[in-house]
Amino acid sequence: MELKQFRFTKGVHPKDNKSLTSNSSIQVMPPCTDYYVALSQHIGAPAVCIVEVGDCVIAGQMVASAKGKISANIFSPVFGKIDGIVKRKNNSGIVGDYIHIKADADQSGQPFTFPPLVNPTREDIIKRVEDAGIVGLGGAGFSSAVKISPNKPVDTLIINAAECEPYLNCDNRLILEHTDQVAEGIKLLAQALGVNRVIIGIEDNKIDAYHKFTDYGFAVMLLKTRYPQGAEKVLIYSCTGRRVPNKGGLPMDVGVVVNNVATAYATWDAIANGNPLYKRVLTVSGKGIPNDENLWVLNGTLHHDIFTFCGGIQPDTVKIVSGGPMMGVALADDSGATVKAESGLLCLTAEELGDANTTNCLNCGKCAEVCPMHLMPMYIDLYTLADDTENAVKYGAMDCFECGCCAYICPAKRHLLQSIRLTKKRVREAKK
Amino acid sequence: MQKLKYSTSPHIRSPLSTRRIMIDVCIAMLPVCIMGCVLFGWNALWIIITASVSAVLAEVVYRLIARVPFKQIMQEFDFTSLVTGMLLGVNMPAFNYAQGWYVPILASMFSIIIAKMIFGGTGRNLVNPAIVGRIFAVLSFTRVMTQWVQPNLPAFSNEIIPAGATPLSQMLSQSSYTAVHSMGLSNLDLFLGTGIQGVIGETCKVALLLGGIYLVIRSVIDIRLPLVYIGMTGLVTVIINGFNFYYFLPSILSGGLFLGAIFMSTDYVTTPNTKVGNYLYFALLGILTALLRKATGMEVVSFVILFMNLLVPLIDKFIVNKPFGTQKKVNSNKEVAKQ
Repeated sequence: MELKQFRFTKGVHPKDNKSLTSNSSIQVMPPCTDYYVALSQHIGAPAVCIVEVGDCVIAGQMVASAKGKISANIFSPVFGKIDGIVKRKNNSGIVGDYIHIKADADQSGQPFTFPPLVNPTREDIIKRVEDAGIVGLGGAGFSSAVKISPNKPVDTLIINAAECEPYLNCDNRLILEHTDQVAEGIKLLAQALGVNRVIIGIEDNKIDAYHKFTDYGFAVMLLKTRYPQGAEKVLIYSCTGRRVPNKGGLPMDVGVVVNNVATAYATWDAIANGNPLYKRVLTVSGKGIPNDENLWVLNGTLHHDIFTFCGGIQPDTVKIVSGGPMMGVALADDSGATVKAESGLLCLTAEELGDANTTNCLNCGKCAEVCPMHLMPMYIDLYTLADDTENAVKYGAMDCFECGCCAYICPAKRHLLQSIRLTKKRVREAKK
Repeated sequence: MQKLKYSTSPHIRSPLSTRRIMIDVCIAMLPVCIMGCVLFGWNALWIIITASVSAVLAEVVYRLIARVPFKQIMQEFDFTSLVTGMLLGVNMPAFNYAQGWYVPILASMFSIIIAKMIFGGTGRNLVNPAIVGRIFAVLSFTRVMTQWVQPNLPAFSNEIIPAGATPLSQMLSQSSYTAVHSMGLSNLDLFLGTGIQGVIGETCKVALLLGGIYLVIRSVIDIRLPLVYIGMTGLVTVIINGFNFYYFLPSILSGGLFLGAIFMSTDYVTTPNTKVGNYLYFALLGILTALLRKATGMEVVSFVILFMNLLVPLIDKFIVNKPFGTQKKVNSNKEVAKQ
């Protein structure tokens, strides 16, 4: 099927460094002794712990149940014993509850699974996605069950395989090694939504993955490699030409639902095998780590264990990032634990970070040129620093989805995105 | 475990920096300076060097007086003052250096201190410092700044050119662009700068184009913007002279249009921040240049750029990008009228 592609001309093209991990097949991370499973690892209310300290749990057993509609169930990744409910800092530095599970030495038992579904109905799929605790695995962690039961008419499902963040290869490897499963997952998601039109958006630097998909008869859109091609609003425009309304518009307002390939795989796994979601593929990369790997990682694995498995953090590492280098979160240390929506762990050296000494704005207009939301970051920065929230909002601060293109391209290395975040925070606080 | 940097995203920054951009501009200026020296001899070289050195010194001394530590000045030195100095140098005719040595020094000091530093330094200036410096020199030292010199390379047509004026001013005073050809100069001469009098950097269009191509390759400037300026000037000249397309090439190849379009008007600080604003800015530059050349009978490129620099804040106020996905406002009056 021929598809019209809508050209995305904004954005930036950072050095993608994908070759570090694009050819390393997905390894299984060996079991560790301690797992810290966060109760809040999705958008919405934290899950409620349903196990007691001292309980023995089996892999796949539910340890926390969703609280309310926008939440998700959480499962034990291993056979073990609940050692305690502890307070820990999450990746962003916010303290939350974690279930500490001490893994048994013997992990050979039969993990818990839901009964596999054969020829499921639409309701069955949505129910199972909800039960299995599936959230959007692209990074946001929004409940997939809510996403695939939209309250507005939807005619298109877009599968996000763009993976525009530099370094990350987890989606790429998943497609290459589990094409059948991902394809089945996409069919299930489309069935749940009741749509016939499925478009897979993939960047042209993952040409192997593109060819894999073309064999399945899906409409596959080969997108120009350009960050942030995989951002929801950009992807929808590139694939369909529809513009999601600003000021809080959602993809379903233009009849589209976007899901990640990893989410499609998790959906297939939950329906065909009955496995709840407690593991995912994670890319460990960067010049500060000796062995760059793609790993099957259990939910709640300590970052320290992952880095040790990959050869340990090298002394020239200056920054550890969870997620991609453009939108990820810098970590204060290696003591954190993985969550469902974590797609990468990067150890970056000073050379990879680039110089960031701020100088005067040159008014070159490059930030406005690259902004995928067509904002004016230089004015937002100017007014934010002058404490003029009203004018900062006027130039679009609230429409920013924080891709970071403006701050990346800025020749004066101004902290444009930080200013935008500051204005957003001020507006949120003023509303309270 | 070692200490880690902790900051918000994005964690990687592009290799682009103010300093790199300005070094690129300096490199792009090299062919212009070299051709200027070839055409106009030692005087040209000394003028360019004097202007550049005094511009850099003016910035450093100003900051020293402002009690900025010397080490910090060196760390923050971003080559903008060198660019200003070089541009100022090539914007002067190759006058007798022994007589007029103070002109480049004073012009550089004026442009750096008055036009740039007192507004807050790099990025804060309202108008292009090099333009201000040139206009200051032209108005203050008119006799020195109009000492036109016959270039070392003769015109291919090999005829004697009347001394004391550039071909453009001849053409404009006779209000006919064809005058250039009656003077025995061909478009090729105008393009190569052979036999053409003028300021050091403006006569050789080949060198200017080389610099421009380098800037485009290094993506410092957008190729379309100088083209809009040059094209607009040519077109409007053709139109106001009664659709005489014979005027197109002489009008764009003479005077300081190429120098202005490629190096002076593309300065980041004094151009609008949006694509649309930039097209408007460069189109207006072209239209004004053609009209004012006709009206005043003078070369006006630098004055037009100065004037348009002052319009930039206005353009930026009214031409702003609309956020992606902005909904068209439903015109309630129309809705009512339909009913």
